[in-house]
Amino acid sequence: MPNFDPSQIPLVSIVFWVMTVFTLGGALGVVTSRNLFHAALYLILSFFGVTGYYVLLSAGFLAMVQLMVYAGAIAILILFAIMFSRRPMAHESQANQQWWLSLLLALALFVVLVVVVGAVNWPVSDAAPAADTVTQLGVALLGSYLIPFEVVAVLLSVAMIGAIFLAREKTEAEE
Amino acid sequence: MPIEIPTLNVIALAPQIVVVVTALVVMALDISLTDKRVVGYVSLLGLAAAAVVTFALLGGPAQAIQQMAVSDGYALVLNLVFIVTAALAILVALGYLDERELQHGEYYALLLFSTAGMMLMAAATDLIVVFMGLEIMSVALYILAAFNHRQVGSGEAGMKYFILGAFASAFFLYGVALLYGATGSTNLHAIGEWFSPDRGNLGDPLALVGLGLLLIGFAFKVAAVPFQWWTPDVYHGAPTSVTAFMSVGAKAAGFAALVRILMVSFDQAFTLDWQLVLAVLAVLTMTVGNIAALAQKDVKRMLAYSSVAHAGYILVGVVPATMTGVKGVLFYLMAYAFMNIGAFAVIAVLEHRDAIGTALSDYAGLSTRKPFLALAMAVFMFSLTGIPPFVGFWGKLYVFRAAVEANMSWLAVVGVINSAISAFYYLSVVVQMYMRTPTDETAAAPALRLSGPVVVTLALALVATVVLGLWPTPLVNLTALGIFG
Amino acid sequence: MINQVPVSYYLLLGAILFSIGAGGVLIRRNAIVILMCVEMMMNAVNLTFIAFSRYLDSATGQIFVFMVMAVAAVEVAIGLALLVELNRHKQTVNIDEINSLKG
Repeated sequence: MPNFDPSQIPLVSIVFWVMTVFTLGGALGVVTSRNLFHAALYLILSFFGVTGYYVLLSAGFLAMVQLMVYAGAIAILILFAIMFSRRPMAHESQANQQWWLSLLLALALFVVLVVVVGAVNWPVSDAAPAADTVTQLGVALLGSYLIPFEVVAVLLSVAMIGAIFLAREKTEAEE
Repeated sequence: MPIEIPTLNVIALAPQIVVVVTALVVMALDISLTDKRVVGYVSLLGLAAAAVVTFALLGGPAQAIQQMAVSDGYALVLNLVFIVTAALAILVALGYLDERELQHGEYYALLLFSTAGMMLMAAATDLIVVFMGLEIMSVALYILAAFNHRQVGSGEAGMKYFILGAFASAFFLYGVALLYGATGSTNLHAIGEWFSPDRGNLGDPLALVGLGLLLIGFAFKVAAVPFQWWTPDVYHGAPTSVTAFMSVGAKAAGFAALVRILMVSFDQAFTLDWQLVLAVLAVLTMTVGNIAALAQKDVKRMLAYSSVAHAGYILVGVVPATMTGVKGVLFYLMAYAFMNIGAFAVIAVLEHRDAIGTALSDYAGLSTRKPFLALAMAVFMFSLTGIPPFVGFWGKLYVFRAAVEANMSWLAVVGVINSAISAFYYLSVVVQMYMRTPTDETAAAPALRLSGPVVVTLALALVATVVLGLWPTPLVNLTALGIFG
Repeated sequence: MINQVPVSYYLLLGAILFSIGAGGVLIRRNAIVILMCVEMMMNAVNLTFIAFSRYLDSATGQIFVFMVMAVAAVEVAIGLALLVELNRHKQTVNIDEINSLKG
């Protein structure tokens, strides 16, 4: 894949702010919408926004993976889950009883994170993005990160065994 | 660019590999065998092989693999804790699943995978491996909790555990991300290096908030206050054989990784403020767990809350961040494996097929109905309270001693007071069994059947609780090997 | 040109996205929405990793993102399987109606 060079795009910051609208608007849509289908579509919008940031951060390969795994596979799985559930459009209240407490907790978390992260005064890296991130990633995955890479295989087999066990019809079950 | 496949020091992960391979063999056997109990026995053989490998490595030099994991004494001793936990849990399951016609090969495979994940967490020296181990363990446990497809409660327990576990994982990950941003690495030793005093990075807000988020993730996994509220529902709803496994295994694994991270990476940064935060958490965890357990009328829920309290006792050993504390924690975890799984094995026997028979009143007059069962339960209850001469007493003694040595006597005092509170509910079970006559309902209940594997579990747990209580030296010597390499 | 958007903006965005997700998990009742919110939190983590990775000029962050993506896919698959299992018994996906355990 040709590496994306963000400096070729004029008005990087405009792209950034558009993506911000996508990401945060989508996120708020997920949290507030009453219709599950709408929530899932907002989620996809939010995933798209994040993909844009990856491109701006010169992680082109991960941007593609993000698009395929999140906006593709995960969003589709979630849409499946919604179709399995009977009431995609619930009319009763969608918030639990302690919503104000939860909101308070979320706000507290927000303030802590923003204060700490916002205080980071980073020396802006002038280094050009790595020439070939895909090669770099591949070498790292099969080199110094071989162990986690292998371990993912174990995790995936656990998930496969578990998901098949849970979802299959138990023939011997007398339900 | 040519890719050079690195040479791997596979020996370092040999016990984990043995367990994973056993799980795969179990899956293969599951297809061809109709009697799934054989699968369970094969899993036990695999765990025995893993124990042999662990013992062979124990005492030798620490073997590292690619700065990702290490098989030092600490990891190996914890391997033994996980192997004991898994083996006892499989024995309980052999009888429990049989009676409920739930005997599936997947159960044993998932349990072994989960064990391998726990062992990986104990050995990990990079946060990426800690995270992968955590996920393998947790994902397998979510499914195991939902294993009983005939009961709504089991599926609900799995769902609840899953949602909270995924939520906790997200916090853990954000913590890792902030630590990575602050220190530039996810390797535990590199992070420890970054905190060394001459680098002047102590008190860096980004890294400390990262540690805080990491702690939130762990607090969920080990069921510490204020993230303990999921415990009773999940422990109560899950099949009892699974509850036995996760109440000990998940807790031990969470502490295994947490203690290594605190000792290796935050050795320097672990200042008095942080110790105080953890100490307060320990006090709250003990107290909340014990007081909530007092109000329970159901033994399974009571043990769920008591497991919260035990997380608090173990935290007392973590707070001093000394080797004495680490050894105390290792001793406590091993002791807890025997006595807690033993207690759950008794519950598994009394629980009828439709998940009744766990109420306190169902234990009335058990001593006349099943004297051996009542005796075993009484011993486990005494040991969990911390009454000598059982192994639970020594476990508490060692963690509290670590607190006293670190000039935190107040913490030990709170621990002792809490043990006294816990006596009320633990001993109320004993009172029910020995001093109450069976009610009409319990008399009418179906006769209790003690299957072979359950008797073996009870006997093993009972012998370990009593013998290691009278003569703790072997276990003390074992935990003395639990050093970081 | 890339310097027009300082790294702290990305980090702040990650923090905001993470908080929105966490708030959603705490406030909403529907299990599927909660699952979506957890995925959003994972996305925030990924964004933070990549931002750090870019500015530290180290590959570790991107490797971590890789792993997180695998885990996210696993979690959604397991979540869906659990939902199917629960739906056999009950027709609800609201987390606080999952309460046959209280007692």
